[in-house]
Parts: sequence; C-alpha cells; structure tokens
Amino acid sequence: MKIRSISIALLLALAAGSVFAHGNKVHVVGTVEKTNSDSLVVKTKEGKSVEVKLAASTVYFERINNQDKPAKLADLAEGDFVVIHATPKDAGLEAGQVRFSRPVAPKAAAPAATKPKS
Amino acid sequence: MVGVAVVGVVVAIAASLLHDGLSSRATPSKLEAVIARNAHRLAIPSDARSTQNPVVASEEDLRAARLHFADHCATCHDNDGSGQTLYGKGLYPHPPDLRLPETQNLTDGELFWIIENGVRFTGMPAFASAGDHNGHGGALDSWKLVHFIRHLPHLTAAERVEMERYNPKGPDERAEEQEENNFLNGVTPKAKPESQNQHPR
Repeated sequence: MKIRSISIALLLALAAGSVFAHGNKVHVVGTVEKTNSDSLVVKTKEGKSVEVKLAASTVYFERINNQDKPAKLADLAEGDFVVIHATPKDAGLEAGQVRFSRPVAPKAAAPAATKPKS
Repeated sequence: MVGVAVVGVVVAIAASLLHDGLSSRATPSKLEAVIARNAHRLAIPSDARSTQNPVVASEEDLRAARLHFADHCATCHDNDGSGQTLYGKGLYPHPPDLRLPETQNLTDGELFWIIENGVRFTGMPAFASAGDHNGHGGALDSWKLVHFIRHLPHLTAAERVEMERYNPKGPDERAEEQEENNFLNGVTPKAKPESQNQHPR
C-alpha cells in the first residue's frame, strides 16, 4: 500500500511536469490544459500555466508504444501528457516540436477472491 | 599592383587588430571577408573545382547524409546550415550560412574539396584523413554531404526535428531526453525499497 502510494505520488509529480532549458531551447513538460488554433496552454509541475505559441513549422508527434508517430494538432487533447521543445520569440515561446501521449487509465483493482459456499 | 594589394591587406589586418584585438567574437570586415573568400577559391585546384559529383543520391543516401551532417557538422553549422550555434558564433570567421549564394554558388567540386581539406586558419577541419574512423566513410560520404548542402535551403521542419535526435549530446541532455521519453511512456519512476527490517514474532 505504501509503495503504491509513493508510486502514485511520484507519477503525479512526473505527470505535472516542469520547464527545462539548455542552449536557446526551452523544454515545456506537463499536461495539456487548453488547446487553441495558434497556441497550447500547458500545466507544469509547479502548477503554472505556460502558453506556447504554435507556428506553421511546428511538428507534432504522438508517442505510441515507445515510438514517435507523426501527428497533427487536431490529434492533441486536453489532459494529454506533452513535451514541447520551444524557442523564445517575441517575449513568449514558440513551439518547434510537440510530442504528446494519452495518459493510460489506471487498472481497476481486482475484486478479492471469495470461497464459494459449500 | 601586387604591392598595392599587399599594402591593402596589411592595412586591413592592422585596422582589424587595432579595433578588435584578437578576439574571436569580432566579425571580419567586408574587405577581409572578400579577400579571404576569393583567396580560398583561388587556392582550390582547378581540376578539383570542375569535378562533378559522381554520386546519384537516392532518398536513402540523402537521409544518411542529413544524419551524418547532424552528427558531425551541426555543432558549428547548425542543422539548418545557418551557423547560429554556440560554437559557430564563437569562431573567427563565423561559419558561413550554407543556404546563401556565397556557398550555394560554389561548384560541387569546390564543396567536396572544402569538406575533404578544410579551410586553413578557420575552424573548418579536414575530413579526408578520417577515412573509416570516427564515422566519416571517406570520399563517398563527402560527396553525399555535397548533395545535402544543396538541399539545405529546402530543409523541412520534420527533417530538422529528426536531425536534432542525431546531434551529439552530453550526459545531461541524454538523461533529460530519457526522462521526457519515460514521462510520455507513462513510466513510473522506481520507488525506493522499504526497509528490510523483520519484526520479531
């Protein structure tokens, strides 16, 4: 029970995501809060909402079975896990690459086995 | 006439040194750039300059060249050939924007010669001696790279994204990439094991 609680807590922490940066690239990691035609709003681990602009050159990949498959903005849904590689532009961020995946629903706990009445 | 040219070069160098010292952050003057570029073109043997690319590139060859460029060249030239990288901006002279006419107007033979022999007094190394070591497969790879350089003005966003995966990465970047993949895969981070203390009966 304790291990499960720790695992769920760690998974939630990981799922909430964060923002990294190296070089001139910014990585925005979290869950999709809102999708617009020209931007995405991502909720990060710190609970912040980060808006990232989309461009005609932005490319999309959906991660399925440990592989990135080409996708479209229309395939993205609120609640999806997302990793965005962006560059600073005009006091904001512009996405170069958007990778996303659909969260897997946790398996329901199996009912306890009961002995049939004799 | 030659004397005038020599004096001009000396004056240009002196002016550059007096203005910028020896910092690599400086940008060559237009005169210096024109002199250097033309001197380099003249230094390429004429038979090398007129050599045609013997490789008829297939899609597979173009992809291999693209990923080779990502692994070997993009550190200075960037994946799109712009030269706008940390190292590119710190070199003197800066790597040229390979998409522009100054590079695209070079012949296939000139591009090949530069890849194989480098450019003296710049950060461009010679790859002819690499042979089959360190991932550069010799002349064939260099000719394929010439095809890729021709393609640079038409590089697609998807091609560039693929190249980013083949750029050299340090341990921190690889760890970050793995962490992002784990996040998208929904991989649960390993929890620390509980203590192994056994309760007495």
